[in-house]
Amino acid sequence: MQRMIATGALALAGLGAGASAAADRTLTVYTYDSFVSEWGPGPGIEEAFEARCGDCDLEFVALPGGVDILQRLRLEGEGTGADLVLGLDMNLMAEARALDLLAPHQADLAPLSLPIAWDDETFLPYDWGHFAFVYDTEQLETPPASFAELLEAPEDVQLILQDPRTSVTGQGLLLWIRKVYGDQAPAVWERLNERVLAVTNGWSQAYFSLFMNGEAPMVLSYATSPAYHMAVEGTERYQAAEFEEGHYLQVETAAMLRTTEQPELARDFLAFILTPDFQRHIPLGNVMNPAIDLGDELPEVFDRLIQPESLTFTPEEVRAHRRDWIREWLNASVR
Amino acid sequence: MAQRQRALTGVTAPARWATRSRWPPGLGLAALTAVVGLGLGSLGALLWQARGVHPAALWQEPWLAAVLRFTLWQATLSTLLAVGLAVPVALALARRPRFPGRALLLRAMELSLVLPTLIGLFGLVAVHGRRGWAAPLWEWLAGSESGYLYGLSGIVLAHVFYNLPLSARLMLQALETAPAAHWRLASQLGLTRMALWRTLEWPRLKPLLPRLAALVFTLCFTSFAIVMTLGGGPRSSTLEVALYQALKFDHDLALAALLALTQLTICLSLWLLALSRGGTPSLVVGSVSLPAGGRWRRRDAAGVSRATDAVWLTALAALLLPPLAAVVLAGLAGLPDLPRQASLWPAAGRSLVMALGAALGALALALALLVGSRWLRARRRGAAALLMEGGGQLILVIPSLVLGTGLFLLLRPTLGSGWQGYGLVVLVNAFMALPFAMQVIRGALPGLSAPEERLADQFGIRGRPRLRWLVWPRLRRPLALALAYAMTLSLGDFSVIALFGSPSAPTLPMLLYQQLGGYRWQGAAATALLLLALVVLVFVLLGLLTRRTPRYPWNRFAREERHARVP
Repeated sequence: MQRMIATGALALAGLGAGASAAADRTLTVYTYDSFVSEWGPGPGIEEAFEARCGDCDLEFVALPGGVDILQRLRLEGEGTGADLVLGLDMNLMAEARALDLLAPHQADLAPLSLPIAWDDETFLPYDWGHFAFVYDTEQLETPPASFAELLEAPEDVQLILQDPRTSVTGQGLLLWIRKVYGDQAPAVWERLNERVLAVTNGWSQAYFSLFMNGEAPMVLSYATSPAYHMAVEGTERYQAAEFEEGHYLQVETAAMLRTTEQPELARDFLAFILTPDFQRHIPLGNVMNPAIDLGDELPEVFDRLIQPESLTFTPEEVRAHRRDWIREWLNASVR
Repeated sequence: MAQRQRALTGVTAPARWATRSRWPPGLGLAALTAVVGLGLGSLGALLWQARGVHPAALWQEPWLAAVLRFTLWQATLSTLLAVGLAVPVALALARRPRFPGRALLLRAMELSLVLPTLIGLFGLVAVHGRRGWAAPLWEWLAGSESGYLYGLSGIVLAHVFYNLPLSARLMLQALETAPAAHWRLASQLGLTRMALWRTLEWPRLKPLLPRLAALVFTLCFTSFAIVMTLGGGPRSSTLEVALYQALKFDHDLALAALLALTQLTICLSLWLLALSRGGTPSLVVGSVSLPAGGRWRRRDAAGVSRATDAVWLTALAALLLPPLAAVVLAGLAGLPDLPRQASLWPAAGRSLVMALGAALGALALALALLVGSRWLRARRRGAAALLMEGGGQLILVIPSLVLGTGLFLLLRPTLGSGWQGYGLVVLVNAFMALPFAMQVIRGALPGLSAPEERLADQFGIRGRPRLRWLVWPRLRRPLALALAYAMTLSLGDFSVIALFGSPSAPTLPMLLYQQLGGYRWQGAAATALLLLALVVLVFVLLGLLTRRTPRYPWNRFAREERHARVP
């Protein structure tokens, strides 16, 4: 038994040792975990940036999601260990700004290519995508072409959704319906709920545990999801349904902390975000649209995705109303 | 303290006794302080950081009462079914020590508890879903499309799938600790089925039931992903969803702390009820020969029970094996991808080391608490003993989100610097595995019967020899099982590790979620398969390491021969 403890302690010590060896100029970036995974955009971006800056060390710290990044900033306050945050979407911007921890990015916004105009001085977009219902062509030949059609669709067109209280995509649908239907949203939710098979707490449960098992023909996801299936898995089976009312837009952004000890290096990284060396890792690494025009480097499958109209609320509107809208949805869904 | 002890015990026992037992209360107290400090400290940190606390917010939310009602209802139903059905299953397993596939079934029972929810859900949906393997059967039987996986029935099914095997496994262990001499006697007296139940089986199970039910209830009460996914909508959710929203989206620390307190109050009062009902485990433990070596051929194993046992065991297999098979099949399809995953093996190694650390911690804490509470009980301090044992369950009823946030506020670790993050995860995992470790060890701990203890005292067998020759042989196997459960629990843990952030060096469950987030289904399925394989490996290895090797092999043959002669 004692020997077991000793080996355990040794191995655990070895575990920590790897992380402590760091260069002098270290840039710590809080982000979400699929970004830094082996096949995500993180490793390629790290390599490209470190080659560019010379002696610096880019270090990603992974949290489960964008909301967790915001929460961690709140808890850490001015003592935060982060130099940059990468992964706050538009709906979290107002609350992150209110923390008064972020500094202007000072980057040149000219290369930006987004579906909407962008002039924010703090948050720099690095990718974007629309929320959409992905459907299984083997179960559903012609998907509904609008929300109105979805509400009228036959009974077997069932949906897998995510809870807006725990999931970014779930919150996306909440805002989407609110944007399209305004004050009519509660009534729409009541009708929509009749075709809901399950409301999961996270996207992974919905997509992996239920949708990929063929439980329902449609799942709430991103318009870019089919790109992965087509490019990497080589299947056309899963496609996104385009709604004529337009789709709610998600823009993911990066920002630097005003407390950073490496402000110049942090700004270098932000400027690097809008270069092809960063952006080429986005389309298939993060399965989102790049924030600049990649030209020929954009994988061909992205031309075959839907190109819907973009719907948005301002970050301030989202911040002001989110709680009420969630309550509204809750009441419509519990009834 | 020491003086007071002597004053208390000096009358009935010689002074040497008093000096011998100075350790248990100290150890127990230290462990209790650590657990309670960690649990209540994190809650306190939330309340302390909160800007204003408004308990009224709790009853101003109309949906909260509904959520609470539903949570109580589903948890009660799940517990009744999981624990209730585990009784006949465990009896059947104990009655049939040898049948083809028994070892496999036991391994499968150990698997379901540690299956990450997401993977468990995948398996359940693949089998019971609308397009699952069982759907055609259901349509043929019921004549309607199979939709039983969504709604209360699905929640209960999933909870039974997760908790029945654990319950049955623990009951089986309790049944197997019945001394061989008792079975021999029962057999010689020709006891009927009912009499066996009354004299041998029920007394073994009874002390276990309240605690087991409380454990399962707590697990079902706090089960977050299962209830949400299978519940079919926000009508069915748990308190933890509200807590998640309060903590993460709204940053309402006070509301989060209040919700956590609500959950804590409900679950802990249940625990106290269970503990006070549980009483001391059977006092008749104590024959020297453990049944592990050779098993008694049982008279009641013949006749009608052959058929009923077959039914129960088939039902268990039908509940347990298909979803696991679905996970394994999906994983096999992803196997060709495995060699291309550079981060898989380091992740597996990291997970194993951390799990071992957490498990050893859990074991040490469990032993300290149990020894301490036993010491107190022996001195008729029942309430204090209860408190000490109940304290061990505290971490289970504090949502990991609250625990993580509170610890973060208290300790302010540097995110991403591997050492601190991993250390904290090991620590919290150790505390989270504690209730399970206590369940497993508790039954075996009283070990020596009162006459034996007196005898050992009279012969002056104390200290190391006493541990080595009297206590250790009794504890060896339960300790191994507890270690295995604790290890595999933290092996499959995702909730805690996600809280402290990570440098790009994931553990196995983190890797799994990363893969899912990146659409890598096949890779994720293969990772899940590897996780399952590791769990099996841990159980098998620890089982082998602690198997009693016959000191004189010829004796073993002689014994088996003796057993064989009994009808």
